[in-house]
Amino acid sequence: MTKKIFRSIMIVALAILMASIVIIMGCLYRYFSDVQERQLEDELTLAATGVEKSGQEYLEDLQSRQYRLTWVADNGTVLYDTFSDEKSMENHADRIEIQEAMQNSKGKSTRYSTTLLEKTLYYAQRLKDGSVLRISVKSVTIWVLVLGMMQPIMIVLVVAFILSGVLASRISKHIMEPLDCLDLEKPLENDTYEELAPLLNRINKQRRQIDLQLSELQRKNDEFTQITRSMTEGLVLLNENNIILSINPAALSLFRAERSCKGKDFLTIERSHDVSNAVQSALRNGHSEIRIEREGKEYQLHVNRIESNGAVIGAVVLAFDRTEAAFAERNRKEFTANVSHELKTPLQSIMGSAELIENGLVKTEDMPRFVGHIRTEAERLLTLIEDIIRLSRLDEENEMPFEDVDLYEVADEVVSRLKNIAAAKNIEISIVGESVYIKSVKQLLTETIFNLCDNAIKYNRDGGIVAVSVNRMKDKAVVSVKDSGIGISPEHQAKIFERFYRVDKSRSKESGGTGLGLSIVKHAVQHLNGKIDLQSKVGEGTTIQVSF
Amino acid sequence: MRSRFDEQLAMLNNELTQMGAMCEEAIAIASKALSMGDVKLTDKVLSLDGEINQMERTIETLCLKLLLQQQPVARDLRQISAALKMITDMERIGTQAADIAEIITFLDGRTGEECEYIRFMAEATMQMVTESIDAFVKQDIVLAKTVVDHDDIVDHLFMQVKTALIKMIAENPTDGGYALDLLMIAKYFERIGDHAVNIAEWVVFSVTGTHKGKLG
Repeated sequence: MTKKIFRSIMIVALAILMASIVIIMGCLYRYFSDVQERQLEDELTLAATGVEKSGQEYLEDLQSRQYRLTWVADNGTVLYDTFSDEKSMENHADRIEIQEAMQNSKGKSTRYSTTLLEKTLYYAQRLKDGSVLRISVKSVTIWVLVLGMMQPIMIVLVVAFILSGVLASRISKHIMEPLDCLDLEKPLENDTYEELAPLLNRINKQRRQIDLQLSELQRKNDEFTQITRSMTEGLVLLNENNIILSINPAALSLFRAERSCKGKDFLTIERSHDVSNAVQSALRNGHSEIRIEREGKEYQLHVNRIESNGAVIGAVVLAFDRTEAAFAERNRKEFTANVSHELKTPLQSIMGSAELIENGLVKTEDMPRFVGHIRTEAERLLTLIEDIIRLSRLDEENEMPFEDVDLYEVADEVVSRLKNIAAAKNIEISIVGESVYIKSVKQLLTETIFNLCDNAIKYNRDGGIVAVSVNRMKDKAVVSVKDSGIGISPEHQAKIFERFYRVDKSRSKESGGTGLGLSIVKHAVQHLNGKIDLQSKVGEGTTIQVSF
Repeated sequence: MRSRFDEQLAMLNNELTQMGAMCEEAIAIASKALSMGDVKLTDKVLSLDGEINQMERTIETLCLKLLLQQQPVARDLRQISAALKMITDMERIGTQAADIAEIITFLDGRTGEECEYIRFMAEATMQMVTESIDAFVKQDIVLAKTVVDHDDIVDHLFMQVKTALIKMIAENPTDGGYALDLLMIAKYFERIGDHAVNIAEWVVFSVTGTHKGKLG
């Protein structure tokens, strides 16, 4: 800006200076030349008169340093010259001014020196006797004048240069000042040159557009953050150099990292060999999966490559908590193994007995014992299969209608059904409590209480008691079954609700249980949205409390 | 020019982290092999040790290249020289894990359960190595200093192992060889703890510029 202004000022100044010099010099030079010519002519006329009157003597008396007078005879020989010796001078007949004078009585010419620095003005006049008198004067040319003026001109130029520099910077500062102070946040509220209005308008329009885009971007970013924040799966976004671009809280807690890990290498939060291999292979092949264990939990990591326009721009790591799924898987495997084992044992027993009978190895008197054995084993098998069916029905969670059920009535029914069995084992079973109506499924309730009481009787000591109580505690309906049996030691307490789990494996056959009873109870109570509490001391008895 | 140097430094950091992770894995597998008496796992430790040695060469070359080509000063120089020292300690950790694995193959599947302090030692040293690598990754001086403190625990555990093994030999002289093997394993764990301390000290050096000499 300053430069441009400076240049324009400089050019204008130069142009004006040049023009002034040319015009002034031209005018003055012409004027002075004219004056000089006229003077010369007058001088010549005077000199001619003098010469005609007194001849050479006049010339000899004439003392002029400025003017040179030459007297030339009509044949061109120089008769006299005021500046040099006439004898040494050549014939002047060929000079233009002499020739002109001889023909027209007057002649004139101008001759320049070889350097163009000097010019000589000649005037000639024919005298009456035919000779010619010539006057000449030397004068400087216009170039010498200009050259002489060079110094002041240079000074003027330097002054112009400095002045225009100062002026240019002042002007540009003056112009720029309001521009510098422009408030681009509110372009339209600026009070400045009206020439800037279109620009400010455009800036205003762009600003609005940028604001719009920014808020849109912010909204999208917020959305993304909201979604990833509430995700239970861990999510990490990496760029192609493995730098973390984004990480959600779930992933932070999984990798035990802090928020500040953003922008750092993924290795800084997870350096295990397998994981970094998985990320590398995902960047190469597009996808990889890996299972890792962290603090007793099992995670499955899915790593996917992100591409944009065919170029790899990073990878996304998604971590699922597979702890429960893995646990369920293990349980299912165990269950299948257990079921096949439990089903096989009675069948093998039946097969053995049947084979003995088939081969006639059984004496007639032993026959009822063997047949009885087959029957009891088949019965066991049947109960087992019934239990499994019941369990799988609970697993499938078939729609069972909830209805108003009196918990006491159900418990009482169960107790009266079990009275005989209990009496056979010399165990006293009793029920206390009040009617409590709840919304429930009667069949499941019956099964739950039956299994609990059945267990209480099975794992009891001789002459023991089973006390069932039904009452309301706060807003809960509670049924508790208390026995004076063998009790369950703490290490078994957590496991007794698992399928086929038995505290004492050797007693299972004797008691006739299938190992599924408490498992059924657990599932039924879960289905009825209840809660089981277990209190037990080895040798003193067990209390199981179910609240709905 | 500088950005290229920064890139190379970042690469050095990554390689060091990976090497550290390999060391962690090596002792984790070695101690698992010991506690489960699983001889098959020891092969894995040996192959990891090979990889760790390879990694040491790679990082060494990278460090020397950086020193020659970039002629770093101040913090960068500290970082690179600390890296050169750290890889030596890491390499020793890898080798000692391999040594433990080798001894495990002589134990005939015995797990050293007679002396539970060995298990504690394994856990404590694993924690130390993990913490020293963590300290490096996070450039965390406080964590590095806790590693130095933890060394006392490991040293103390080693004394307990020694006492327990002396008692074991006295009670059952036929198990003398076994007891000595266990002692060697314990000694290796103790050495690994020392190397973890060294690593932690170099971390402190690369951050603060002061190195307080090796602790015995």
